Amino acid sequence: MKKITLAILSLVFLSSTLFAQENTQEKVRQKGHYNSSKFKQLDEELPTPNKQHMASGAPGYEYTQQQVDYKMTIILDDENQKIFGEETITYHNNSKDALDYLWVQLDQNMRAPNSKTNDVSGGGPDALYTPAKFTKMFMGKPFQGGFNIDYIKDVNGNPLSYMINFTMMRVDLPKPLAAGEKFIFNIKWWYNINDYMADRGRSGYEPFPDGNNLYIIAQFFPRLAVYNNVKGWQNLQFWGRSEFALEFGNYDVSITTPKDHILNATGVIQNPKEVFTKEQNKRYESSKTSFDKPVFIVTPEEALEAEKSKNTATKTWKFYAENVRDFAFSSSRKFIWDAMAVDFNGKTVMAYSLYPKEGNPLWEEHSTRVIANTLKVYSESTFDYPYPHATSINAERQGMEYPMICWNGGRPDENGKYNDRTKKGMIGVITHEVGHNFFPMIVNSDEREWTWMDEGINSFVEILAEYKYDPELFPLSKYPKNIVGYMSGDQDQLSPIMTQGDNVFNFGSNAYAKPAAGLFMLRQTIMGPEMFDHAFKTYAKRWKFKHPTPADFFRTMEDASAMDLDWFWRGWFYTTGNNDIGIKEVKKYHVTDKPTEQAENLAKRYGITVDQLPPSLYLVSEDSKEYTDDLKGKKPEDYTVLNNYLQDNFSAEEKATLKAPKYFYELVFDKPGDLVMPIIVEFEYEDGSKERKQYPAEIWRLNDNEVTKVFPSSKVISKITIDPDEETADVDTSNNSWPKNTETQFDNFKKNQIKG
Amino acid sequence: MERFLLISKKEFMKYQKYVILLIIAPLLAFSVHKYYISLCEVEYVEEKKSVQIIISHFIDDLEITLNNEHKKDFFLATNKEAKNIQEIYEDYLHKHLKFTINQKPAQYQFIGKEYDDDLVRFYLEIPNVQKLNSIEIENTCLIKDFEDQQNIIKIKVKKFNKTFYLTKSNVKGLLKFQ
Repeated sequence: MKKITLAILSLVFLSSTLFAQENTQEKVRQKGHYNSSKFKQLDEELPTPNKQHMASGAPGYEYTQQQVDYKMTIILDDENQKIFGEETITYHNNSKDALDYLWVQLDQNMRAPNSKTNDVSGGGPDALYTPAKFTKMFMGKPFQGGFNIDYIKDVNGNPLSYMINFTMMRVDLPKPLAAGEKFIFNIKWWYNINDYMADRGRSGYEPFPDGNNLYIIAQFFPRLAVYNNVKGWQNLQFWGRSEFALEFGNYDVSITTPKDHILNATGVIQNPKEVFTKEQNKRYESSKTSFDKPVFIVTPEEALEAEKSKNTATKTWKFYAENVRDFAFSSSRKFIWDAMAVDFNGKTVMAYSLYPKEGNPLWEEHSTRVIANTLKVYSESTFDYPYPHATSINAERQGMEYPMICWNGGRPDENGKYNDRTKKGMIGVITHEVGHNFFPMIVNSDEREWTWMDEGINSFVEILAEYKYDPELFPLSKYPKNIVGYMSGDQDQLSPIMTQGDNVFNFGSNAYAKPAAGLFMLRQTIMGPEMFDHAFKTYAKRWKFKHPTPADFFRTMEDASAMDLDWFWRGWFYTTGNNDIGIKEVKKYHVTDKPTEQAENLAKRYGITVDQLPPSLYLVSEDSKEYTDDLKGKKPEDYTVLNNYLQDNFSAEEKATLKAPKYFYELVFDKPGDLVMPIIVEFEYEDGSKERKQYPAEIWRLNDNEVTKVFPSSKVISKITIDPDEETADVDTSNNSWPKNTETQFDNFKKNQIKG
Repeated sequence: MERFLLISKKEFMKYQKYVILLIIAPLLAFSVHKYYISLCEVEYVEEKKSVQIIISHFIDDLEITLNNEHKKDFFLATNKEAKNIQEIYEDYLHKHLKFTINQKPAQYQFIGKEYDDDLVRFYLEIPNVQKLNSIEIENTCLIKDFEDQQNIIKIKVKKFNKTFYLTKSNVKGLLKFQ
C-alpha cells in the first residue's frame, strides 16, 4: 500500500532574465483558433434535438416511455433478518423498438461477498479495526449479502434464461418483444438483510439495545432498468453511490411482518382494518381531516407496549401504489405514528411520520410539520403534489428517499435533549428527502448518470423550503457564497458538474451544493425570481412523470424566458472555472469645451481642422496633462455650446427636468476568473448615499479580461464595491473595492478582538 | 465518501445520502454534512512579517472529538458551554496542528475563535517571521475519530497559492521556496 507521509512541493520563481529573452525573440506567427468565446452556443455540447427530446426542451410528439407493473408477495423474517419475495413483473414495451432481452437491476449484489464495489475502492489502512470489522475484512467471514435468485419463469412456468453481471441481470426473451407488446414473468428471490449501522448501507436494519430492529427496506426486489432512446438500456452498474434509473408503473404489494409491527410504504394501505387495532384504525381515518396539527395513529404508549415483547404471529399489509418509479417500506415494533392532512386545492395529502421513542421529543414536534411545509413550497415551485401521502421515517444516520417515503436521521440525546444543530440537521434532512418526491421521483431524471439533476435541483428548492419553515435557522444570506471555498480549491480535485456521478471528486459539493448555488444565483441575481420561477415550473410540468435529460433542463430554462443562458450552463456546469471580478482602475473626468488631444486626432483623421469639428463637449481625465484646476467646479451647463443647444431644443419646463451629471468616472473592471458573470457595482457617494448598477454578463462578450464603462454622476464617489452582497460566488474579494481594501479577514478579526 | 463514526455513538447526524454539502469550510454553512472536512488557511504577510492562520472546523465534529478525549460533554456553542473551553481548544490545537518554519518548530499565538453557524474558526498567528523559506504543516485534527477526515490546507505566500489535502495516511504538507 502506498503511504505518502510527506508532500513536497518546490516553487521556482520565473527568472526575469528568461522573461526578457522571450521578449526579444522574433515575432512568432500567430495561430488561428476555434471559437473559444464564453458565449458560444452549446450546440456542440448538447445532443441533437429529436422528436422525443425537442429543441425547445419539451418532450416531443414521438416521446415514449416503458411501463413496468409489479405484483409482489414479501415476507419479512425479523427473527433471522431475512427477506423473501415473489414478484410478477409486467413489462410494457411502449417504444417503437423490438427487444431481445430485458435488463433487471440487482442492487443488493453490491453487498455480496464478491462485490466489485470493495475491489475498486482504494485507500490506506484504517485508523482502527473493531473485531467485527477485522473478522469481516481479513478472516474470510464477509457478510453474506446479495440476491439469491430461486427462479425466473414465464407465465406458463417455463424457466427463462438469464445472465448476471454484478448488479445487472439480463433476462433473455423467448422471442423478441415487439413494439406495443407486453411480457409477463415471475422472479422468486431472498437475501440476508444487512445491519446498516455497521456497513453504512442505504437500506437494512438498525438494531436497538432492547433487541428490536427498525427495518428500512429499499432496492430490495429485482427492478427493471430504464430503456429509452437516450442511453438505450441504462445498465451502468450500481457501485453504491450513483443512484437509480427506473420506470414508472403500478405496484400491488403484500408484506407479511410480525403481528406487532407497524409499517408504512410507498402507496396506500388496502386493508387498514386488518393491520391496525380498532382504535388505531379509527385514528387512521380521522387523521384525514386534521389539517391544523399532527395527531397520533399509533400512540407513544402503544409503541412502548409493543416493543416490550415479541409476537411470533404474523399479519399481512396490503399496499397499492399508482404511477410510481419504485417501492420501499419501513417496519418495526418501535414505531409511533403521527399524521396531518395537507390540502392541495381540494385534494387531501397525508403527511406521516413514523419514529421510535428515541426520536422524541424532536420528532413529534417537527417531522410531520416539516413534511407539510416541504410539500407546500415544492408544489408552489412545480405542480401540486400528486401522491396520496409523504412519509418520513426516523432511521439513525440516514437520509434516503423513495416514492412517498424516506429515511431521515436526527435524534436527541438519551435525556431527550437536543441543540439547534441537531434540530437544524433533522429539519434539513427531512426537507431534502421529502423534496426528492418531486426530483427525481416524479420529474424522473437518470440518477445513475447525472447526480446533479436530482440532488442539485432538489437542494436548490430545499433552500427555499427550509427558509419558509424557519428563516432564522436557515437564512438565505449564505447562498451562493457557501460554494466559494469549493470552487476556489485545487483544480486537481474538481470535476465539472456535467460528470457521471461515480467519477466525481467531492461528491457533495459537486453534485449538491454547486448546482444548488448556481440555480440560486440564477434565480436571485441573473434572471430574477419572476422569470426564473416561470421557467423552472415549465421544466417541472413538462417532465412530470417523464425522463428528462440535462439538455431538456437547459433548453427549457431558455425556451420559457427568452434569456440566452448558454454562457451560464457552459461555465457553471461544463467547466471547473470560478468567478473573480475586480475593480482595476477608477478615473475621474471633467467636462470642457476645449478639444482634447483625442479630438484633435479625430479631426486630423478626417482631414479637417479642429475648428471644423461640430460644436461639442469633451471629457478630460484628472490625471491627464490637459486637465487644469479651473475645470474642477465647472458644470456642463456652464458651457455655451450645451446651453445653446438646450435653449434651442427644449421648453423651459422640459429644461427644468434635465439634470446634467457633474462628474464622469471611467471604471475599469478586470476578470482574473474564468467565468463570465454580471458585474454588480455599488457606488457610495461623499454624502453617504449609495447606488447600485448591475451590468449583464454579456458585458464580457468582446473582451474576456477587462472592460471599461463610463459612469456619469452628479456626486463625488467615495467608494466602489463589486458584488457587495456576495451574490456571484466571487472567489477573491480582495480586488472588489476601490479604494483597495488591504485588510485581510485575519486583520479584521484581530482588530475587533483587541477592541474587545 | 461516507463517514463512519468509530468511537462515539452519541446522537449524531450522519446522512448516508444527504451527502452534503460542503467542502471547504469557510463558507459552507450547511446544516447537515456528510463530508468530514476542515479548512486551514495560511497566509504569510510579508509587510507584517507574520504568518496568519485561520482554521475552520465543523462544530459537531470537533465536539465529538473533544467529548471523547475528555470523557465529558462540552456543549460547544451553546449557553451550557464549558467555562474553560478556550483552554481546551488551545490545548487541542497545540497537540494536533503543528508548524515548522524554515526547518524550526514554530509556536503560534492563539488570537481568538468565532462561531459562525455550523463552524468554529480559530485565528492563530506566528509573528516575527523575517523571511519564509519553507513551511511545513502537520494537521492531525479529528482524524482519530473520523477515518475519512480530510484536512485541507491552503497556503498563500505572496502570489503563490498551494492547496494540500491531508488525510489519515498523509498528515503533513511542506512548501519550499527557492
